[in-house]
Amino acid sequence: MADAASGSAADKSVQVKLVLLGEAAVGKSSVVLRFVSNEFQANKEPTIGAAFLTQKCRLEDRVLRYEIWDTAGQERFHSLAPMYYRNAQAAVVVYDVTKATSLEKAKTWVKELQRQANPNIVIALAGNKVDLVQPSPAAGSSASESEDEADDATATPGEAPAEASDAENLRQVPREEAQAYAEEAGLLFFETSAKTGEGVVEVFTEIAKKIPLEHILASSRGAAGRPGAAGRSASQDVSLDENQSKGKDACNC
Amino acid sequence: MATISTHLRNFKEPDKDEQALLFFSIPSTATGGPAKGAPAPGDDPEKMDINAVLSLGGQSQEDPYAGKLHLIPPYLAFVSLDRKSVKFSLPLCTIRRVERLNARAGIYALSFSLWHGMKIVVQLTSLRPTADLFCELLSKALKAELQAGRMKAVKPFSKTCYSENLVLESSPVADNEREDGSLIDGGEKVGVGGAPVFHGGLGLKFKFPGDPKKLREASKTKLWTTYLRVHGRHLTLLRYPQCTRLVQVGLPNRLRGEMWETLSGSIYLRFMNPGYYEQILADNKGRNNTSTEEIEKDLHRSLPEYSAYQSEDGIGALRRVLQAYSFKNPETGYCQAMNILAAAILIYMSEEQAFWLLEVVCDRLLPGYYSTTMHGTLLDQRVFESLVARCLPIIHDYFQEVDVQLSVASLPWFLSLYINSMPMVFAFRIVDCFFAMGPRVLFQVGLAILKINGEKLLQIQDDGGFIHLMRDYFSSLGESAHPDSPDPRARAITRFQELLLVSFREFAVITDETIFAERRKYRNEIVTSIESFSKRSSIRNLKTLQRFTKDQVGLVYDALFKAVCIEPPPAPVQPPIALLTTKDAVEERPETRIELRTFRLFLSEIVTWARDDKIVTNGFQQRVDREVAEHELIDRLFYFWDFSFRGSLSFQDLVTGLDGVMFNDLMENIEWFFNLHDKNKDGFLTKDEVLTLSESMLFIFRFEVGDAYLGAISRFMSNAFEYGDALLPQSEGEDGELPSPKIESNQPYLNLATFRMVVLADEVLESFFETDLSASFRLEPVPLMELPTANSGLLGGLWSTLASDDNKKLFHKFSDEVGKTIGRHQVIHRPSIGRYRSIEEPRARESLLTPSMRRSASKSSLTQDESSLKTSSASTTSLPSTTTAVSLDTTSSISQDSIASPAEYNSLSLVQAANAALMERTPFAIDDAGDEDDEDEEDEEEEVNDGVLDEVDAFLEAHDPGVSDADRELSKDLINAEPVK
Ligand SMILES: Nc1nc2c(ncn2[C@@H]2O[C@H](COP(=O)(O)OP(=O)(O)OP(=O)(O)O)[C@@H](O)[C@H]2O)c(=O)[nH]1
Ligand SMILES: [Mg+2]
Repeated sequence: MADAASGSAADKSVQVKLVLLGEAAVGKSSVVLRFVSNEFQANKEPTIGAAFLTQKCRLEDRVLRYEIWDTAGQERFHSLAPMYYRNAQAAVVVYDVTKATSLEKAKTWVKELQRQANPNIVIALAGNKVDLVQPSPAAGSSASESEDEADDATATPGEAPAEASDAENLRQVPREEAQAYAEEAGLLFFETSAKTGEGVVEVFTEIAKKIPLEHILASSRGAAGRPGAAGRSASQDVSLDENQSKGKDACNC
Repeated sequence: MATISTHLRNFKEPDKDEQALLFFSIPSTATGGPAKGAPAPGDDPEKMDINAVLSLGGQSQEDPYAGKLHLIPPYLAFVSLDRKSVKFSLPLCTIRRVERLNARAGIYALSFSLWHGMKIVVQLTSLRPTADLFCELLSKALKAELQAGRMKAVKPFSKTCYSENLVLESSPVADNEREDGSLIDGGEKVGVGGAPVFHGGLGLKFKFPGDPKKLREASKTKLWTTYLRVHGRHLTLLRYPQCTRLVQVGLPNRLRGEMWETLSGSIYLRFMNPGYYEQILADNKGRNNTSTEEIEKDLHRSLPEYSAYQSEDGIGALRRVLQAYSFKNPETGYCQAMNILAAAILIYMSEEQAFWLLEVVCDRLLPGYYSTTMHGTLLDQRVFESLVARCLPIIHDYFQEVDVQLSVASLPWFLSLYINSMPMVFAFRIVDCFFAMGPRVLFQVGLAILKINGEKLLQIQDDGGFIHLMRDYFSSLGESAHPDSPDPRARAITRFQELLLVSFREFAVITDETIFAERRKYRNEIVTSIESFSKRSSIRNLKTLQRFTKDQVGLVYDALFKAVCIEPPPAPVQPPIALLTTKDAVEERPETRIELRTFRLFLSEIVTWARDDKIVTNGFQQRVDREVAEHELIDRLFYFWDFSFRGSLSFQDLVTGLDGVMFNDLMENIEWFFNLHDKNKDGFLTKDEVLTLSESMLFIFRFEVGDAYLGAISRFMSNAFEYGDALLPQSEGEDGELPSPKIESNQPYLNLATFRMVVLADEVLESFFETDLSASFRLEPVPLMELPTANSGLLGGLWSTLASDDNKKLFHKFSDEVGKTIGRHQVIHRPSIGRYRSIEEPRARESLLTPSMRRSASKSSLTQDESSLKTSSASTTSLPSTTTAVSLDTTSSISQDSIASPAEYNSLSLVQAANAALMERTPFAIDDAGDEDDEDEEDEEEEVNDGVLDEVDAFLEAHDPGVSDADRELSKDLINAEPVK
């Protein structure tokens, strides 16, 4: 399968190793699944150790190949994390906007990455599950999605199904607070929903823009487009430029 | 992560006895929980083993097997000489009668009748007195069992086992199975009274995964029925080669759960602890903690595609089992991956069965896998890597070359027993083998996976490529391994069958012993790396390093860690859950906080005056005996540093506390020392506090050479009181007599300015506060209780023999004693400050005191301290006459170790040679499994059965019964022999 479609673009294809970190069940795997296959599964199994996925995307005239390491969130898996974030050029640290502790955990991850990981690593902070704190009959959400809602509520214990009126009550991390922290720590910041797709592609777009691609290209020249590297068919590529605008639409509604 | 865990330090490798228990899947009394009716501690029943030949009566066609019979009360166990063909572990309470057989002269044979009528004959081939002793112990142990009343429990227990229904001659269950062949019908789970007759899993109601026809359930069940009739079942299962072969072709779904608990030995826990599971749930009803919270998160995320886990039936069962485990094992609590394991086994077994099986997996089969440090997982990954290096060196080298980490793929294999990696029907067959043959199966399968994919693996470029390749391979396990072969039988072999063949044939060299030895070899490496990881993250998680460098804080951590090892603090404080869920609560993670006793140890590592270093010279050696000092000053410091007033100190508190003194100049130090003694922080010392402060200084200077400090302190006291009195408000304003203190001893008396003046009036004290006080806090590498150096099982063993604290003490005592007799024993207290080396007294500064006052300074309280300078501890210990003998023992055990070494190396090189030979074999050849039956489902049943067995035969290893023909004859005689009398 692989690179035939990209043809000459393969020359410009850059591999970016990206790692996802964050407390258990904040939705790391769901965010990746949304980005890679544009799907959402209500009950995803917890990640054991780590999962690996790839996704190619186009950004302007360049092709990026994200190699995504999705790690396990539980505290005791923490000591395994260095195995996955070594040599990573980017990291997405995820927290759950309905759970204050998850931001604390995110902060310790950021601290660790800034001290232990690749010094040029680009870090994005993503507050996931914003769908839970938005009035639920929001524009564009279909009947089937509100069914999902009920499922999720059971999957995320301690939370009553979100009613339009008190959806915002579920929020435990104010956007401003997290954003202020992100600025202070020099992180990209997003609020996302793996369920609705809101903000997900943007995370990866903005990272792509911020990463010093030329630098990586120069240092990993031999790696890109070699025969063994498993690729995805071109049709599955995400064009970041397009999706970005789609993402913005989602934000506007 | 602000917790400091030292439990890895306390780990002990399983000793011989424990290894035997592991081998026979017998629970050690420690793990069984509070077993009801367990023998009272103290009267440990005696264990013994003896050479024996085992024969099986009844309709069996089994050969007699030579081996060893073990009495491990309350169990009787047997293993054949080759340690793999035959073994059993029988609870003594299943034995109904033991008879000495009347046979030829010189033959000592026992016949055991088991509760369900099975008869086994054991010929004791050791010498007569040994056999007699064995019988005596056996009968003692049997009597104890009788008294414990467990004999009566066997029959009711057997009713909970599915196999009993299976072996009934005209069981409705068995009939039903033969008719529909599918086995999927939960109808007869419920007995007459509506109570479940036998334990079973969710699969009875929600169907078992896989196509029963394809799985050849009916044939497998039939074969098992026959086997269990003759060879016993559940508590009394005897494992003959046929048993292992049947396990290797996959257990039938309905029997699977019971066989898992039987093979793993968790059935003994369930048998010995009736009602425990329900009880622990009842006792902890409504309890909420971190574990239950984490469990709740994952309940809907465990095998979600299996229908039972979309309903309350399955979710509830899963919740209860995981919670019960976490209540029983609060240290481990809940680890992700346990949910997958529990969800998987609950398909095949009841909650109670699953609870005990989980216990055995986490505690015995995969120790430390799911613990908070996951050290077992990390260790086995290291072991796996070393096995790959040994057995598949080309792959290993290639991985190194392209910097691919094995464990990115293999860690989940081990952690979830492949359940998460492969299609479930295949994973369960690996799990079958795992419970029957132990953890080595995980390694064998892992190696086989790599070997089979060898060529492709040599093409990958990075971790990602590795994972992709593995994922593709696992999803193709159901396909033919040889799709292009002209031979239809070869084409019928699936990749999964190929995988098992390679696992158990090519990697048969991997034994339990290999795994044990490898784990021993790498344990320290892993412990060290886990500890240094948690050190780094503890340091990283400090809010501030203050003025220290990272390295210095590291030294503080080391001192703390050592103290915590010796004097463990109470369990880390868990903030109440309520705090965590409110929006603006202060977030606190559980953290280690030390109490006073641990603090003293900590401080003794850092502060020179917080310890008594006795320099002992005895003609053989000079050494420093360190004792932890106890003094009010140290306690005072503890509370001084307890910045959040919790009666305990965190790592951060210690760092901040040390920062408060270690960087001080003269003035800051004087102020610090003042504040330390100003208890109510009102800026004044009371008279009492002035005295306490003087005592503190006396304590600090207790080992200094010469009288300089004593003089200084006495001058200090006089001056302090003189000035204090002089500065008191002269309310009365009366006569000229010395204004004798009109102030209570606990009233504000001396302020900082005055205190400073008094201190500066003295050269000795000035120099102390200028540099010596700060310098008495020293961050030096802590002589940690080092772990034996990694990679050297042998050296490590030697080291620990030599360096065990007891031996060291013995040696010291011994050499001291000799030193005393030859008059060369000398003890000197190392000074804490060490400024004055000679006895000469430095002159006091131009004093403000009258000479008379100076003289009057009381020395009475000081003489005692002075005298300790001269103390020689020559009279401290009297040598017990046994010391020499004991230390001789030490040496002999050392030499034993070194003798053992060549053997160890030999066996290692043998293994290497064997591996080399294996690697040169042609890759898996088709004809190896050539007699595989083609899957014609329409065949007559007999033939289908044969087909199953053919598959089994492919695994068949040579079994050596280890007996001669004559023995065989004898065994036949014995089966039919009459009991004595
Ligand atoms: N409502 C809502 N639910 C979500 C969202 N993202 C994830 N979830 C749900 O949250 C649960 C956890 O999601 P995962 O993606 O498995 O979380 P994770 O961070 O990968 O968890 P670990 O692998 O255990 O570390 C699942 O039940 C998801 O369905 C979201 O954006 N909105
Ligand atoms: Mg995940």
